[in-house]
Amino acid sequence: MIKGEGLRGAFQLLLRPTYQTHTALKNVSFTIESGSFVGLIGANGAGKTTLLKILSGLIPPSSGEARVLNFEPFRRPLEFRQKISLVMGQKAQLWWDLPASDAFELLRAIYEIPLKLYQERLHTLTELLDVKKHLNTQIRRLSLGERMKMELIGALLHWPNVIFLDEPTIGLDVFAAHKLREFLQVFNQREKATIILTSHNMDDIERLCPRILILRSGELIYDGPPGSLTRQGERRLRVRLMQNPGIEELGAVSGVAHKNISLAEKDTAHGDAMGAIHFDLKQEQIVPVLQNLMTRFQVVDMGIEEQSLENVIQRLYEGIP
Amino acid sequence: MNLEWRWAALKNGFQDATVYRLEFLFEVLGSALVPALIQWVLWYALFKVGGATQIAGLGYSEMLQYTLASLLFTQIRGGNHDFDLAEMIRTGQLSNYLLRPVGVVEFIFIRGIAPKLFLAAVCLSFGAIASLWLNSSPLRMAGAMALALLGNIIHYQLSASLAALAFYWEEAYSILMVKNLVVSLLSGELIPLSLFPSHYQWIWKSTPFYLFVFGPIQFALGQWSFNEFLGQIGIASLWLLVGWALVRASWGLGIRRYLSLGG
Repeated sequence: MIKGEGLRGAFQLLLRPTYQTHTALKNVSFTIESGSFVGLIGANGAGKTTLLKILSGLIPPSSGEARVLNFEPFRRPLEFRQKISLVMGQKAQLWWDLPASDAFELLRAIYEIPLKLYQERLHTLTELLDVKKHLNTQIRRLSLGERMKMELIGALLHWPNVIFLDEPTIGLDVFAAHKLREFLQVFNQREKATIILTSHNMDDIERLCPRILILRSGELIYDGPPGSLTRQGERRLRVRLMQNPGIEELGAVSGVAHKNISLAEKDTAHGDAMGAIHFDLKQEQIVPVLQNLMTRFQVVDMGIEEQSLENVIQRLYEGIP
Repeated sequence: MNLEWRWAALKNGFQDATVYRLEFLFEVLGSALVPALIQWVLWYALFKVGGATQIAGLGYSEMLQYTLASLLFTQIRGGNHDFDLAEMIRTGQLSNYLLRPVGVVEFIFIRGIAPKLFLAAVCLSFGAIASLWLNSSPLRMAGAMALALLGNIIHYQLSASLAALAFYWEEAYSILMVKNLVVSLLSGELIPLSLFPSHYQWIWKSTPFYLFVFGPIQFALGQWSFNEFLGQIGIASLWLLVGWALVRASWGLGIRRYLSLGG
């Protein structure tokens, strides 16, 4: 629903509400092998959660087709629901006023897990996530990290074949996030479960996912390993010169386009009177650019910085080539 | 049919409803005693202060009996799980249940009815003792409680169908509130339905709401014969079928419009 401005806008909304249709996903097509760990990333509103909702069967695609484990997700057959799990970092699935152990008991009955197997799994999961001592504590009294771990246990008790994780490390401290990552890795490797993870935390993605899918405004713009994304990307050449040339001159001498040259602020307080100049370059351009610069200027200091996955992805989000 | 998860859901629902025991107790006592006190004040004003001897064929002591019996059955007539359903649709919390291998409407019902079953057992015990004291049959009380429980199911079915409007309008709070007010009036929770003028009796007779409180009271107090009672059980069964069809249709259609909002 779209709202106009001021009192008039408020009345317009009351009398003649207008609606806007937003296409969340466009021509997204991919296949995931069983047992893989795939990262699904994109800026806010890129369509990640919508994609997870379609794949898990919460909402239907308005056109096209989704298939998971050979099922049409939105039909939500019983067998399909027994084999999948969706964890949303921002949505609690367990009952707030009850201890996790009560909720797990109910889940055991829902998924018809034999008692002995349930006890084994619960033991394994609580050991791996280090929350055994909190099993009988009310969910509302747990810390965010402990709660998230309980949510994860609740989602995994039935040993799903496919797990959709929507920002599971949101709000967790470094230690808890690390523990969760470690656990997911072990679970994926040990149980051969297919995991699709969305996260804004590139640490999660880099450490866990051999394959990533990047969405931008509902379109799939990258599908491959994160490593090759950074290899395909640029290096950053950082130099300090005795002289103080402007970007025009630097561009003319180095042969690098102006948009790929940036001048860092001079930090005179820390004795950095010269200021660094950054060139975003392909690996093979570095030596020729340096040679060109040295024909005109005196290079005092230089270094080559690896582009982080985060930087590369940020540029992809922004549509910078 | 998997009875195990149903039993576990019942247990879980009871634990959830009674986790704060004092809160549970106050809720039960408050919702039972306040309407009963209002009724008592009304009857006192009409009969003792106003000097009336009979209203619609009922005297002061019969009105008081009705009020006391209503204490037992108003507790059973329905909870707030229709509001829960509507809220879950609106906030996207329904997603948690949709992906479980259980029917969401049934699951919420079972969790919700758990404390009501406990209350039904308590009220039945009180009612049975009172029946013995009044030289009436405790069997009547048991039958009345069974009818009240059928009424609870019908109430939930109709409410769940109304809650499905949240799939279309996002917010169904006000319509559920209006439904609750209508149910309060037409179930016989506030006044005996026999007080309705004869040419307006068709209003409550054409809804299933009288089966929630008024019907059970009539049978418990001996106003209905066993045959009449069996006839009412038949009517309740028909309403159950209607309710089942309504839930199937409203949720079958509504779920296609579910957006799973909220992250």
